[in-house]
Amino acid sequence: MSSEISTNSGSLRQWHVVVLVALFASAVGVVMVRPDSPELLVLLVAIFSSVAVVGLGIYRTVWPLTTREFRERTEMVGSRTRAALDQKKTLILRSIKELEFDRAMGKVSTSDFEELSSHLRARAIELMKQLDIDAPNYYDLIERELAERLVKTDKGLDPGLLAARQVCDECGASNDIDARFCKSCGLHLHSQD
Amino acid sequence: MSLFGSFTLYAAFVACAYALAASVAGARRRSTRVIESGIGAFYLVTALMTLASAIIVYAFVSHDYTIRYVDRYSDSAQPLFYKLTSYWGGLDGSIMFWVFLLSVFGAIAVHSNRERQRELIPYVVAVIASVQMFFLFLMIVHKNPFATYLLEIPTDGRGLNPLLQNPYMAIHPPSLYTGFVGMTIPFAFGMAALITGYLDDSWLRAVRRWTMFSWLFLSLGLTLGMIWAYEELGWGGWWGWDPVENAGALPWFTATAFLHSVMVQERRSMLRIWNITLVIVTFFLTIFGTFMTRSGVVQSVHAFGEDPELAMLFGIFMVALLVISFGFVIYRLPLLRSRNELETWVSREGAFVLNNWILLFSAFFILFATMFPTLSEAVTGQRITVGPPFFNKWMIPIGLALLFLTGVGPLLAWRKSTFNNLRYQLQWPMFLSIVTMVGLYAIGFRVWVSGFCFGLCAFVIGTISQEFIRGANVRREATGTDLFTAMVGLVMRSRRRYGGYLVHIGIVLMFLGFAGAGFKQSEQVLLNPGEQVEVGRFSVRHDRLSESDDGRKQMVTSHMTVFKDDKEVGELFPARWFYRKHETEPTTEVAIRRSVSEDLYVTLAAYELGDQSASFQVTVNPLVNWIWLGFSVLAFGTGIALLPESAFAFVTAQVPSGAATTSVFILALSLAAFSIPINAQVAEPTPESYVTESELEEQLQRELVCVCGTCPHYTLADCKCATAAYMRGELKEQVKQGKTKNEIFHYFIDQYGSQEPLGAPLDEGFNRLAWLFPYGVGATFLLGFATVAIRWSRHNKESKVSLAIQPEDAKLETRLDNELRDLD
Repeated sequence: MSSEISTNSGSLRQWHVVVLVALFASAVGVVMVRPDSPELLVLLVAIFSSVAVVGLGIYRTVWPLTTREFRERTEMVGSRTRAALDQKKTLILRSIKELEFDRAMGKVSTSDFEELSSHLRARAIELMKQLDIDAPNYYDLIERELAERLVKTDKGLDPGLLAARQVCDECGASNDIDARFCKSCGLHLHSQD
Repeated sequence: MSLFGSFTLYAAFVACAYALAASVAGARRRSTRVIESGIGAFYLVTALMTLASAIIVYAFVSHDYTIRYVDRYSDSAQPLFYKLTSYWGGLDGSIMFWVFLLSVFGAIAVHSNRERQRELIPYVVAVIASVQMFFLFLMIVHKNPFATYLLEIPTDGRGLNPLLQNPYMAIHPPSLYTGFVGMTIPFAFGMAALITGYLDDSWLRAVRRWTMFSWLFLSLGLTLGMIWAYEELGWGGWWGWDPVENAGALPWFTATAFLHSVMVQERRSMLRIWNITLVIVTFFLTIFGTFMTRSGVVQSVHAFGEDPELAMLFGIFMVALLVISFGFVIYRLPLLRSRNELETWVSREGAFVLNNWILLFSAFFILFATMFPTLSEAVTGQRITVGPPFFNKWMIPIGLALLFLTGVGPLLAWRKSTFNNLRYQLQWPMFLSIVTMVGLYAIGFRVWVSGFCFGLCAFVIGTISQEFIRGANVRREATGTDLFTAMVGLVMRSRRRYGGYLVHIGIVLMFLGFAGAGFKQSEQVLLNPGEQVEVGRFSVRHDRLSESDDGRKQMVTSHMTVFKDDKEVGELFPARWFYRKHETEPTTEVAIRRSVSEDLYVTLAAYELGDQSASFQVTVNPLVNWIWLGFSVLAFGTGIALLPESAFAFVTAQVPSGAATTSVFILALSLAAFSIPINAQVAEPTPESYVTESELEEQLQRELVCVCGTCPHYTLADCKCATAAYMRGELKEQVKQGKTKNEIFHYFIDQYGSQEPLGAPLDEGFNRLAWLFPYGVGATFLLGFATVAIRWSRHNKESKVSLAIQPEDAKLETRLDNELRDLD
C-alpha cells in the first residue's frame, strides 16, 4: 500500500507545480495592477486561478498521451447484455410490485390482475433462468476486470501477478493466487511458490 | 485585457476542435488514451470559458470602456450587482455565458458518467464539443464580446437598459439559460446512443436527472419572467404571448412531454423512437428559440435585415442539426423498434401518449403562431400580428384538456384498466369537481371558463389526495405503522411518482391563478386630485403627484389612498421613472397591494404635473399570487423526485424561489431597444387617451395592438407609448362615428397598410392558414397516432401467447417472491 501513496504523490507533484505557478503569477499580477477595490482584487485572483485551471486542463489533455497507464484498453465483454438482462429483470419485478400495489389501490380488476401477474411472473422466471446460466461466466469477467482495475490504480504491482490464477486440481475452480484452500471444494491448494 | 479575452476564446475553439477530433478518433480506434486526452481537452474548454468569464466580469467592474460590449451595457454609476449581471445583459455576452454554462454542465455530466457509460462518453464529448464550437465560432467571427473601439474610447458607458435593472432580471436569464443549456446534455447522450447503437435504456437513466434539473430551471426561468413582466412592465398581466416568452415555453412543452414518455420507455420499452425524437426536438427548440429572439426574424423583417449574418449562421447550424440527428434516427430505426405493445388505450401508457400528443401540439401551435407573421410577410408582403387573442383561443382549451389528463392519468393502471375500476377511482374526484362547479354557480359565479377550470382543479386535487390516502392505507396495512409514517414511507419509496404528484399540485395551483385572470376587473381612469375610482371591492383615491430625483433617475410618483369595502386600508405609490441616458424609455413602477385572494394593481399611465391630474390603470387581479405559490410547490415536488443521489438538487429546489420567468425576454427587449430606432420623438401620451367611453371601444382596445415596434405588440389598452396613445385616439374617433367592429378593423387595415394593428389576423386569404393550421396539425397527429395504435393492437393479437409456469420452477418461484420482498 505504501507504493500506492508514493505514486499518487508523484502525480500530485505536477499538480502542485501548476498551483504554485498560479499563486506566484497572482502575486505578481496583483503587485503590478494594484487593484483599487476589493472586488477587483477578488476578480484578479479569479482570473489567475482560472489560468491555473487552464494549465491543469492542458496537463490533463497531454498526460493521457504520454503516460503508460492507458496503453491497454479494458474490454467489457458481454457485460452490456448481462446488464440489460439484469435490468429487464428488475423492471419486471418492479412491474409486479406496482401491479400488486395498483391491485391494492383498486385500480385493476381481479381477473386482469391474475392474467397480468402470471404473465409477468413467467417472464421474470424466464429471465432468472437466463441469468443463472450466465452466472459462472460473469464471475470470471468480474475478476478479470477487477484485476485490470487494480493494475490501473496500483501501478507498483506487476500486472501479471494479479491476473494470475491458480486452478484447483480437484474441482477446477479458479482461485486467487495466494489462496491456501479452494473456495469451491475446500481442498488444500498446492501453491506454486 | 480584450486581447487576452479574445485569445482565450480562440484557444477554447481550438480545444473544442481537438476534443471533438480526439474523441471520435479515439472511439473509432478504440484507444483509451486518445479518448482520455479528448476528455482532458473538454475539461480544458471549461477552464478556458471560466477564464474568459472572469476576464469580462473584470472588464465590467474595472470600467474598461475600450471594450464595446462593456460600454454598451454598463456605466460607472451602476451598482456592483448590476455590473456583474451585465455579463449576460446583451447578445454577445449571453452567447458567451451560454458556452460557459454548457462547458460546465458538460464537464459535470461527462465526469459523473465516465465509468457507467464508457461507450457513450466519447460521442457525448464530441456532440457537446460541436455545439460549443458553433457558438464559439459565432463569437469569433461575428459577435466577439471582447471587440474594442479602435478610436474614440468613451469615458463612460451607456448603461444597462433600466428595465433590466431589477433583481428578477438578474436571476431570470441565468435560470432560463440553465434550463436551455441543460437540455443539451440529454441531446448529447441521445445522439451518442444513436451513433454507437447502444440503444438500451441506459442512456435514458443517465439523462433523466439532467432533464428534470433543466426542466426545473426552465420552469423557474419562465415563472421569474412572468413575475418580472407583472411587476416591471406594468400592463397588468404576466404572459403576453410575446415571441420571446414563447421561445422559452417551446422547449418546456417538449421537455414535459419527454419527462412523461420516458416513464413509458422505462417500464414498457415502448415509445423508443418517440423519446429520442423528443430529445432532439427539445434541443432543436432551444436553439431555435435563441435564433428566433436573437436574429430579429420574428419581431419584423427589418430586424431580420439587421443581422442577416447571424440568421444565416443559425440557419445553417439548425439545418445541419436536423439532418444529422434525424439521419441517425432513420439509420438506427431497426434497433429502435418497440419491444412491447399497448394492451389497451385505457391504461396509463395510453394517457401518456395522449398527454404527449397534446403537449407536442401546444409546442407546434405556439411555434407556428409565433412564426406566422414572418411567414405571412414573406408570402404576401403584408404585415400582420398574431397576438394574445389568437393564442388564448387555442391555448385555453388545450390547457384545460391537459389539466383533465393530469387528473385522470394517475388513476389508470399500467397496461390495463377496466371500466369498473375506473368508476371506483373516479367517483370521489368527480363528485368533488361537480360540487365545486355547482357551488360556484350557486353563489353567482358566472365566468364559465374559470368556473370550469376551478372544477378541474378540484378534480385533480381530488385524485391526487385519493392517491396519497389510498396508497398510505395500503402501505399501512402492509407495514402496520400509522397513516402519517406510511405516507412518508410511501413518498420516500417512490419519490419520482409522488414527487411528480406534488408537481401536479403545483400545476393545479398555477392554473387557479390563471383562471383568476378570467374575472379580473380593470378600469382606466383620468383622475384629478381628490377624485377616486371604484374597482371591485376597492376604491382608490388620487391625492397628489410628486416629483423627485435620486441622482440616477427622475421619479414622478402619485400618492394614492386605498379603500376596501369603504374602509381605508393603506396607500399606494405608482410611479414613472426616467433613468439618466434612457429618458426616452421611462419605466412604469407598478404599485401592488397583495393578498391571497387578489392583487390590487395600479399603474400610472400618464400625468400632467401642471394640474396634478393623471390617468391610471387600476386592476384587480384575482388569485394571481397562487401562480407563484404553485411554482414553489412544483419546485419542491421536482426536488423530491430528484432527491435520491443529489442532495444538492434537493437544496436548490427547496428554496421556494417564489418566482420565475420567461426567457430571454429581457435580452430581446434590450436587443430590440438597440436594433430598432426609437420612434422619432417620444411624446408622453396625454392622460385623456386611456379613458374609454363605450363598451365597444373598451373591447376593441383589447383586440387591437400597438404597432410602435418597440413593444411586443401589447394591446392598446395595455401599451403606454405614444403610438398607442395616438391609436387609441383614432379608435375613439371611429367609435364616435358609430362604426361597427368590422368597419373599424378595416379602417385600421387601410390606415396602417396591413393587418398589423389587429391582435389576430382576419380569417381570409393567406391568413386563413393561421386558422387552419392548428386543425391541420391536430388531424395529422391524430392520424399518426391512430396508425400507431392500429399497429400496436395488431401486434397485440399476434403475441397473445400466454406463458405458463412450469412445475419445476417452483423453487424459482419462491426465489422470485423473496426478491420481490427485498425490492424496497
